[in-house]
Amino acid sequence: MAQKVIKYIGRTTDFRGNTLWELVSELPNWGVGRLLIRNMFQRYPEPCYMRILKVQSVDEQPGEIRKVRVTVEKTWRGVTQPKPVEIYSTSYKADYELVPQEQEAKYLENKKKLEPVVLPTKIDLPPLLRELVSEETGNPNPQMKVHYKLTHNKLARLAKDGEKPTINFELGLGQPKPVSAKLYEGIL
Amino acid sequence: MLRAGCQLLTQSALPAGKTGGNSFALEFVRWRRKPRWLPVAKSKMFRVPERKKQTEEERTELMRLHNQYKTQLRSVRQFLREENVRIDETSTVDHIVLTPEQEEAEFQKCIEANAAWNAAIARERDQRLAKEREEKVAYVQERLEARQVREEERREQANQRVLLEIERSKTYITRENLDAAIETALANPVDHNYAIDLAGNLYQGRSTTQLPDASPEPNQQVASN
Repeated sequence: MAQKVIKYIGRTTDFRGNTLWELVSELPNWGVGRLLIRNMFQRYPEPCYMRILKVQSVDEQPGEIRKVRVTVEKTWRGVTQPKPVEIYSTSYKADYELVPQEQEAKYLENKKKLEPVVLPTKIDLPPLLRELVSEETGNPNPQMKVHYKLTHNKLARLAKDGEKPTINFELGLGQPKPVSAKLYEGIL
Repeated sequence: MLRAGCQLLTQSALPAGKTGGNSFALEFVRWRRKPRWLPVAKSKMFRVPERKKQTEEERTELMRLHNQYKTQLRSVRQFLREENVRIDETSTVDHIVLTPEQEEAEFQKCIEANAAWNAAIARERDQRLAKEREEKVAYVQERLEARQVREEERREQANQRVLLEIERSKTYITRENLDAAIETALANPVDHNYAIDLAGNLYQGRSTTQLPDASPEPNQQVASN
């Protein structure tokens, strides 16, 4: 008999790996202390991995993929979050992979780190609103505060006094990044 | 009806000659497509939609534009929200600003008006309560009188029964006249047997000897024949 050929049909997925319960339920001591990765996040050059701290099993629900409550120390694009993070609602995704203990060094030695984005504190108003406000107040160049909401995993921050923002929210098209400069050839 | 209207609209309002075919004309999809609640068509059941890949440069640029737009829009909304709060706090357009003395006077005026209302309502209430009290007294009085009449009637009836019994007690069989009553009963035996013929004539007594004559004189006609 010829070699068995597996032919996949249906929609494709970008996920690769197992659900978290499939990984954790097989391990001694529920895999506490082991390194996990999400394959979806391996697209970044900076290391993205999670260290398991605690596992709580959750009963299986009929008709659903089994979930599990896992507390991890999360490192995303080289930045380790100060507080442990709980994975529950995304634990059903078949995108997790366990890192063999001898390969953990590969992730831990990758010292690349995402630089935090510094946002400007003030930006210009949109043209019509600017006209309206400057007519009312007499200020020729009124500005508004940048909306910013602090969350536990946000890597952007507002610029401090005298600091130069790394990102510019000027009105209009703005300056494209060097990667995508080709798209604007002959236009800008 | 709507469908017909839609076609009419597309045909009459946008003639093909002017717009250059249907490519520019309005398309009403509401009455053409499958309703949302019907299942996937058989011909489409196993169709696998193609997933289009974005190039790196396109993805980066779209992400940048998205971030820029969203941040600007959120900032404008925040600006307008803060403006509204500021205007609400400082504006005097929708209400009249009063000095403390005026406010106090206004308050006193309100209190007086309230007291006047209370007094008027209290008057009405007293009148109503007095009327209700009178009605209640009258009702109770009426009921008491009715009860008295009822009692008297009852007493009268009882009296009459007692008198009747006293009257009847004259014919009672007592220990004294028991022998006499027995003697009387034995002397006058009563025969309750009787016979009825086809004509309904009643013949008293079991051992009666009276025979039906040619023209018998019936003792009694059975009433309920």
